[in-house]
Amino acid sequence: MSPQLELRDVTKRFGGVAAVDGVSFEVDAGDIIGIIGPNGAGKTTLLNCISGVYRLDGGDIRWEGHSIAGIPPYRIARLGIGRTFQIVRPFGSMTVRENAAIGALFGREDARRGPKEAFEAADGVLELVGLAAKAALPVSALTIPDRKRLEVARAVATRPHLLLLDEVMAGLNNVEIDEALDMVRAVHATGVTVLLIEHVMRVIIGVCRRAVVLEGGRVLAEGEPEVVLRDERVIQAYLGERYAKRLKP
Amino acid sequence: MVKGDSNRRWRRIFLILAAVIGAYALLAPLTSLDAAQAANIPLLADRLWFRLATIIAMFIVMATAWNIIGGITGYAAFGNVAFFGIGAYTTGMLIAKAKWPFLAALPLAPLVAAAFAALVGLPLLRLRGHYFAVASLGVGVAVGELVQNIDYHGQAVFGGASGLFLPIYSIDNRGLFFFYLMLAAAAAAIAVTWWVLRSKFGYGLIAIRENEEAAAVLGVNTTAYKVAAFSLAAALTGLAGGIFSQWNVFINQDNTFPIEYNVQMILMALLGGTGTVFGPAAGAVLLQLLIQFLGGTLPISFDLPFVSETARPIVAQIILGLLLVGVVIFVPRGIIDFFGGRTRLSLGYLRRSLRETSL
Repeated sequence: MSPQLELRDVTKRFGGVAAVDGVSFEVDAGDIIGIIGPNGAGKTTLLNCISGVYRLDGGDIRWEGHSIAGIPPYRIARLGIGRTFQIVRPFGSMTVRENAAIGALFGREDARRGPKEAFEAADGVLELVGLAAKAALPVSALTIPDRKRLEVARAVATRPHLLLLDEVMAGLNNVEIDEALDMVRAVHATGVTVLLIEHVMRVIIGVCRRAVVLEGGRVLAEGEPEVVLRDERVIQAYLGERYAKRLKP
Repeated sequence: MVKGDSNRRWRRIFLILAAVIGAYALLAPLTSLDAAQAANIPLLADRLWFRLATIIAMFIVMATAWNIIGGITGYAAFGNVAFFGIGAYTTGMLIAKAKWPFLAALPLAPLVAAAFAALVGLPLLRLRGHYFAVASLGVGVAVGELVQNIDYHGQAVFGGASGLFLPIYSIDNRGLFFFYLMLAAAAAAIAVTWWVLRSKFGYGLIAIRENEEAAAVLGVNTTAYKVAAFSLAAALTGLAGGIFSQWNVFINQDNTFPIEYNVQMILMALLGGTGTVFGPAAGAVLLQLLIQFLGGTLPISFDLPFVSETARPIVAQIILGLLLVGVVIFVPRGIIDFFGGRTRLSLGYLRRSLRETSL
């Protein structure tokens, strides 16, 4: 079976800097994969490439067997790839419910609805991410963790086959992370493939079946999270050479 | 989408208002203005009021149309007067040069204006914020200049600087006819806005206003939606222009491409409340009355104290300017906010607004 998403030598340059430099990996349908790496490793840039926000400078991205390189973001969303933004971007003048309804109104092409059904679908999604009680509130009344939930809700409401999550746990405390983990598991359980960028190692080990480590725009390591995180190169990338040596038995 | 008591009250107010206007519109044509004059009914007996009422309806169309691109979509178009002028000249040329009947020429005004908006919208709507505002202003000015200055074999194509004269539309009670026509255009503009705000299209436009990139990754075809909103606004504005050309009989650059209309329609929308169905219309009525009153062109008028007749237009501008600054700072959501009983004008409201609008 061919992979659902396939990255082949994906490259994105800004001026002379290659933020993403020949990244290749595959994602199978139903998988849940973590992308980790130090600041500036190119994680968010990679996500922007997949979701069509950036145009590729090289390589190819194949979705369900077809190339999606150079396709505008709205069409990629319609093909069934949903995403969140690291810095939340809610529709400020709308209520929580309306925000989610926008995702349901638009989103995947073969799952589109009229306004009435969209609002019903939004209610279902808000239930799933645990925002049902706050559906009628304006976005401005939400706490930071809830805004991150809303960001996820909006993307889930598009009924994606693949969901790209950009650091939805950053800035949350331990209790909130546990809640957010439950949310990600609940979304994944509905049959959505998940690709998540995360700094919090507990998250990667907690939910991911596979982890891809990026450093300097390249894939440094790839495999099961427990194995990858013990990789000496990975520890070096995160903590520096000296610390890595000291950790050696 | 919170449907509370205030919303119901809202609806009742406007239903009553619509019923009154509807009944009046149905009954009034039965009597001509002459009858009203013979009976000496106040307001109706004064032809000036009818001209003013038609102008107000015209501005309701323009402000409501601007609201679709500026208020709902969040793109501050500063050159919408171009569509008014294009509509006026489309109808005007068809009637004056091609000898089309008015009612056949009128539908082409919104079509040509919308087509032009789509054409310039594609490149212009890639710009955001101030860049779009300035570029659209440039288009507004350029079109007016082009229309006046395009020559072919030494002959001005569009009438040139001397303008374009249309044959007078022969119909009983002309003034009344054009008033109702303009009122119908205003009703159409409001109805279109009402529909937009309830449709998928409208939700997409609001999403673009609130965050364009987020809208795009949720599957909103932002380019198509923006161009559609721009064209829709242009079509309505062009319709007003088309009616104006036959009503006014004479059109030239000054009366169909006035730069100040650009500013006025935006101020009307701001004053009334952007993004709402009735706000721009309310703002249009209020601001146009105020402009005419301060200008001394209303049948009801009085001398401003300490102001000589010659200085009056300047003082009027100053008062208008100050008032608008005040409105933008203290009533940022527009005066429509006070209807429907959700908020009341109070010192606390003004203080909250000041906090909202200042840094």
